[in-house]
Amino acid sequence: MTTAAQDFLRSAAEKSANLTHRHILRKGIDTYNSAVTRGLSRFMNWEAARQKCHEIKFETINHLDRYLLEFEQHVKERGGHVFWAQNGEDARKYIADLAKRHNVRTIVKSKSMVTEEIHLAAALEAQDIKVFETDLGEFIVQLRGEPPYHILTPAMHLTRDDIAALFKEKLGDVDTNDPGELVAAARRALRKAFFSAEMGITGANFLVAESGMIAITTNEGNADLGVSLPKIHVAVAGIEKVIPRMQDLALFWPMVATSGTGQPISCYNTLIGGPRAPNEFAGPEEFHVVLLDNGRTDLLADPEQRDVLHCIRCGACLNVCPVYRTIGGHTYGTTYSGPIGSVLTPHLRGIHEFNHLSYASSLCGACTDVCPVKIDLHHHLLHNRRNAVTAHERPGSEGSEFKMFRWVMQSSARLAASGAIGRMTMRAIYALGLAGTFFDPTRKWTKMHAAPKIPRESFRAQWKHAQVEKK
Amino acid sequence: MAQSENPGREAILSRIRTALTKPATSHPAKTTGDIFFPIGDALERFQKECGTNNTECLLTDSLSASTAAIAEIISALPSGPIFLQDAPILRRLAPILVSDRKVQWSTEGLPAEESQAAITLAETLVAATGSVFASAACGGRGAAVVAPTHIVLAFTDQLVPDLEAAFARLYQNGAPQKNSMLVLITGSSRTADIEKILVMGAHGPRRFVVALSPRAE
Repeated sequence: MTTAAQDFLRSAAEKSANLTHRHILRKGIDTYNSAVTRGLSRFMNWEAARQKCHEIKFETINHLDRYLLEFEQHVKERGGHVFWAQNGEDARKYIADLAKRHNVRTIVKSKSMVTEEIHLAAALEAQDIKVFETDLGEFIVQLRGEPPYHILTPAMHLTRDDIAALFKEKLGDVDTNDPGELVAAARRALRKAFFSAEMGITGANFLVAESGMIAITTNEGNADLGVSLPKIHVAVAGIEKVIPRMQDLALFWPMVATSGTGQPISCYNTLIGGPRAPNEFAGPEEFHVVLLDNGRTDLLADPEQRDVLHCIRCGACLNVCPVYRTIGGHTYGTTYSGPIGSVLTPHLRGIHEFNHLSYASSLCGACTDVCPVKIDLHHHLLHNRRNAVTAHERPGSEGSEFKMFRWVMQSSARLAASGAIGRMTMRAIYALGLAGTFFDPTRKWTKMHAAPKIPRESFRAQWKHAQVEKK
Repeated sequence: MAQSENPGREAILSRIRTALTKPATSHPAKTTGDIFFPIGDALERFQKECGTNNTECLLTDSLSASTAAIAEIISALPSGPIFLQDAPILRRLAPILVSDRKVQWSTEGLPAEESQAAITLAETLVAATGSVFASAACGGRGAAVVAPTHIVLAFTDQLVPDLEAAFARLYQNGAPQKNSMLVLITGSSRTADIEKILVMGAHGPRRFVVALSPRAE
């Protein structure tokens, strides 16, 4: 078993046994669920909306080169720069060199999963540049030295008391657990950063090909400050973020808000198409877009799983996942957690190290049902399981066990015989007082669950008797 | 940038083209049916949505009434400069809007950190979501988010039913070509990052006001 898989199992056991953690998580997700129910009622036909989003993303991803070139051309026409980064190292180097060239000391950053993916902030801080995460949740986890817990709600695992203690220690000028006061303290601290920063870094929810504009969505307005006050704006985006037309946002903006938070639309939906134009009096002098591959073209080359690139990172699949709701975001040990993370990570970081995530699912399909772009997530988990087996990444014993299982299931006589042997063995183990010991094949299950009663006879025999009695 | 400085460009494009030689295994069905409910009375809907998204919509019967309503809000604010979009109509109304307070015009650059309010115009108003669509021409970058109060002077002829219509009108006006920025503002700045409890005024304005009247006096 790989280290990542061992860490996952250890953390999952700890987190699922931590009732306080589960209570915080359940409270957060329950609040989200009621908001989403209200949000969905504003759509006349949610299914048609999902279908339309799926169509638009399908069209773009399957003509990705054409739309990226169109986007690039329009950004350049407005005086912006486009850099194509093959991996995290390319992107980090480009941004770090840019910061060096402009003698950047302070950077304000808005929430972006792709910059987490390439560990951008750490690389810049290693060059003595102070990087401020400005989304409140990100600011909180940054102060704690943690990665985000959830794609959309980075500090979902913390109570107001945890945050109050953190702010008292790190910011000093606040001693209360009132959420309003805590937000005000973060605002005061970050205002100073906004007005002194030389560079603003954002992600992009969408890249609009026909206008060469990037679309950024926030509720706090932090990205708007980050693209207004510093003299350089750098946007980092995965190559899959492109959409063809501005009009597509008339659907995507409400969809990402409804699936993400239950709002009809987020407070600030901002489109940036370049540096300050000649007729403008404020805004950055330079605008750079970094287009990141980092394994995405490998996923594109897999026609079966290409639609994973349709993801708009709304986080809806995390909130409905019974596994995520029990073990939480940090247990995954990956940038992208929950069902989308379990599907995506083996592609981005290797099936050897991360194939165990494909098994962190009950295959209930709730993730597929809520996905606003209709990614068939739970079947992709099955595809990843199959790929892991084909690549000989699973233990040899698993293969033998499944061969045996198939052999038994192919004959009703063999199934009946194995049931009889199983019942006999279990009765003997219980009678000899060996339950839960090495000799008990059900010990892994019964460690955490009450042992079922061993029935006197098989289901088929019970059924037969019941039919006879009916007559 | 010269292409030699960015070898990743050709490498990525080539990988994309190779990947796409294999067609996707499943194709989407065509969408059928309307997605959103039809918008009835745009003005009524806009007001209703503002009520739920924390926008103060002040509907008046004339520009002078809107001007007076804004002036009343400004007079109650703590001392500090007022940031104004440098537009002929706001130049004309400024003496009434802000009285003798210090004014910073958008042509002078970014709003000052100590600004108490920003007064700007809009490109369009979106009824379906109770939103204001603004561009860089509406006061420039930062106009909507630096001051704790943002006031938009708007007119009923700027109302469109939904986002699709708003984008269509922006294209007619050529806005995406003329400006480096567009922003759809729906209510005031907020966060729910602490225990999912809603707090207003996270980084941007705590108060967002739309003073709306017919254009003609």
